Amino acid sequence: MAMPAILQRMRDAISPPSTKQAILGLFQDAESAANAGDALKGAGVPDTDYDFLTDSPYPEGSLGEREEKHRLYLYPFIGALLGLSSGIMITAMSQVAYPLVTGGKPVLSLPPMAIVCYEGTMLGAILFTVIGIVFESRLPKFQLGIYDNRITQGFLGLRVKAEPEQRYEVIEIMNSAGAVEVKTDE
Amino acid sequence: MASETQAHPPADHGHDAHGHDAHEHGHFGPEMWVIPEASGLVAEVNEKQRTTPGIFRMVLYAGAALTILGIVGFVLKAMTAGFSDHRAWGFYVATFAFVFTLTASAPLAACAFRFTKSHWRRPLSRIAEIFSLVSIVNILLFIPALIALPDIGVMTEGGEQMVRRSIWFQELVNPSGWLLAGMVGLSFCSVAILWLAALPDMAQSRHLVTGFRASLYGKLAGGWYGTKKQWQVQKGGLAILGALYFMMVVFVQFLVVSDFAMAMIPGWKDSILPPFYTVISFQGGLAAILLVAYAMRRWGGYRDMIGQAPFWAASKVLLGLTLLHTYHLFAFFITYWYGRLEVEQAILNYLMFDSYIGIFWAQLFFTFFIPFPILVSNHARREGWGAPLAAIFIVIGLMLWHIRIFAAAFAAAPAELGGLYYLPSNAFSFPAMLLPVPGATFPDLWDIFMILGGVGIVLLVFRIGMMLLPPLSLWEMKEGSMYQRVDTLIRGRYLVLTKPE
Repeated sequence: MAMPAILQRMRDAISPPSTKQAILGLFQDAESAANAGDALKGAGVPDTDYDFLTDSPYPEGSLGEREEKHRLYLYPFIGALLGLSSGIMITAMSQVAYPLVTGGKPVLSLPPMAIVCYEGTMLGAILFTVIGIVFESRLPKFQLGIYDNRITQGFLGLRVKAEPEQRYEVIEIMNSAGAVEVKTDE
Repeated sequence: MASETQAHPPADHGHDAHGHDAHEHGHFGPEMWVIPEASGLVAEVNEKQRTTPGIFRMVLYAGAALTILGIVGFVLKAMTAGFSDHRAWGFYVATFAFVFTLTASAPLAACAFRFTKSHWRRPLSRIAEIFSLVSIVNILLFIPALIALPDIGVMTEGGEQMVRRSIWFQELVNPSGWLLAGMVGLSFCSVAILWLAALPDMAQSRHLVTGFRASLYGKLAGGWYGTKKQWQVQKGGLAILGALYFMMVVFVQFLVVSDFAMAMIPGWKDSILPPFYTVISFQGGLAAILLVAYAMRRWGGYRDMIGQAPFWAASKVLLGLTLLHTYHLFAFFITYWYGRLEVEQAILNYLMFDSYIGIFWAQLFFTFFIPFPILVSNHARREGWGAPLAAIFIVIGLMLWHIRIFAAAFAAAPAELGGLYYLPSNAFSFPAMLLPVPGATFPDLWDIFMILGGVGIVLLVFRIGMMLLPPLSLWEMKEGSMYQRVDTLIRGRYLVLTKPE
């Protein structure tokens, strides 16, 4: 599906289009893919410029890839804080506005407030976690980039963003490492 | 499928140095550990989805028919009884609570066993997660129950505020907003877990499916390539959402059992009931998962993907939950029996030894006396049929439990001024109530329709979920095939595991 023009313009405004080309090497086994990754590193391709595409999560570091960082753990805390604040405000303000004594307990009694505050905290944390997942995974995308369906059958993809002058070197590295096919986004 | 090649010894290992057939000496049959070949898994599961076995079609039709029956029962009940007297809706609330109990905890099983990195959970994960779709139905079922719930407070003609005891802060209307927000939040969280867990599978299947599923997968899995970062965010997201879901499900169960059971029986103050309800929910959720997994293995064509090991392992958890259920039941009983207060005696007589004595003993047999010996038997557990058999009795027992608690609670007392509920808002003490002990309530025809409809809607929605989404967690099964193999040790065949974390 093509990206709507307005979204394309917004994306270009945030991050200008790169001159780099996408190249996908397809490998039948993990060892060959890892070797290709090592060779790319050796050839001076920054490790932020290539990604392994797999059909299941491989153990961290098993392909010699870079360590990935994400900030997903921050989102639930922010959501929880906002939810808790809302819960406190709603319960305190409504009880002050409509004071009603129950069982001789104080109007602003903490145990019943805690129930609503807890609920607000949880709802905020859940909502923000989902937002965080969408944001951190870069989902959704309107256009599926370079890919090969054989990755779903256990093949490994090595996707490289290469400068035009590096293109042939990258393809050569992948072929030498045993790629069964090398695709470009042209 | 390569399960055969992996589950049986390879040719060169077929005979040991003494000339014996190696696999004959192991105590575990070839169906104990089934590790499917990763490369053809996506295509094979999609093919199995296309060729629906007859029994699954029957489940779909039966579910649809029962759901229609339930809707008819609901409409006729609403027309004949209205919503003004909550006592007419006891069986409806029991049905809702039963569906909620069984289905709300099921997704938690996927999260919990993923936390513990159990390999045997892999074929069960998606089954557990598909129950999330039923949580959307829970919201719909919850709305009439909220309408039937009596207000917390009323105002007398003289202007005096009269309130009934509840967990909510001071307000006169019933706490529908907060209850509904909790239920919606829980459903949102469980559907988010389902989406996140199924994301890689939808992405991997999108080139194999057509029509509505292709469009659905394209929209829901757009942008998933399986990069390292995406796998990490998925793993982290499932962990966080799983933890939040646990905190939320326990909370919503606390709300449901407090507002729709405990607060409805005058004088019932019981700190054991909310954790008791949570335990039976875990028990029911696991039982439901095992029943579906057994049906898929036995009749659904998934025998080469689901071995006996998941049932063997899960049956021990089910045994533990069955014992916990019985312990909580005893703890509830003994506290009130020792307490000897008039109201405590009345509640024991109402729920256990007088009004509902028949249903109490029937439930005890179904939730403990029958499943316990089945689950204790190592043979029954290991063969894979013990846990599903016990699960059938447990699910029936839990239905009876919900009728005994929720239908009884709604029938206990009228919600009217001067009745049993409403006390002056500044009253400190809580007088002995529920005397004389009310008799048992029985369902009318519309109630029976609604009970059947509750069961039907679970079958229907779950079956639709299985048709829409890959019914096995493909990426987890593939990951499992990377970390497990069956190999020979001396003369037996055993599972060899890798634990990379």
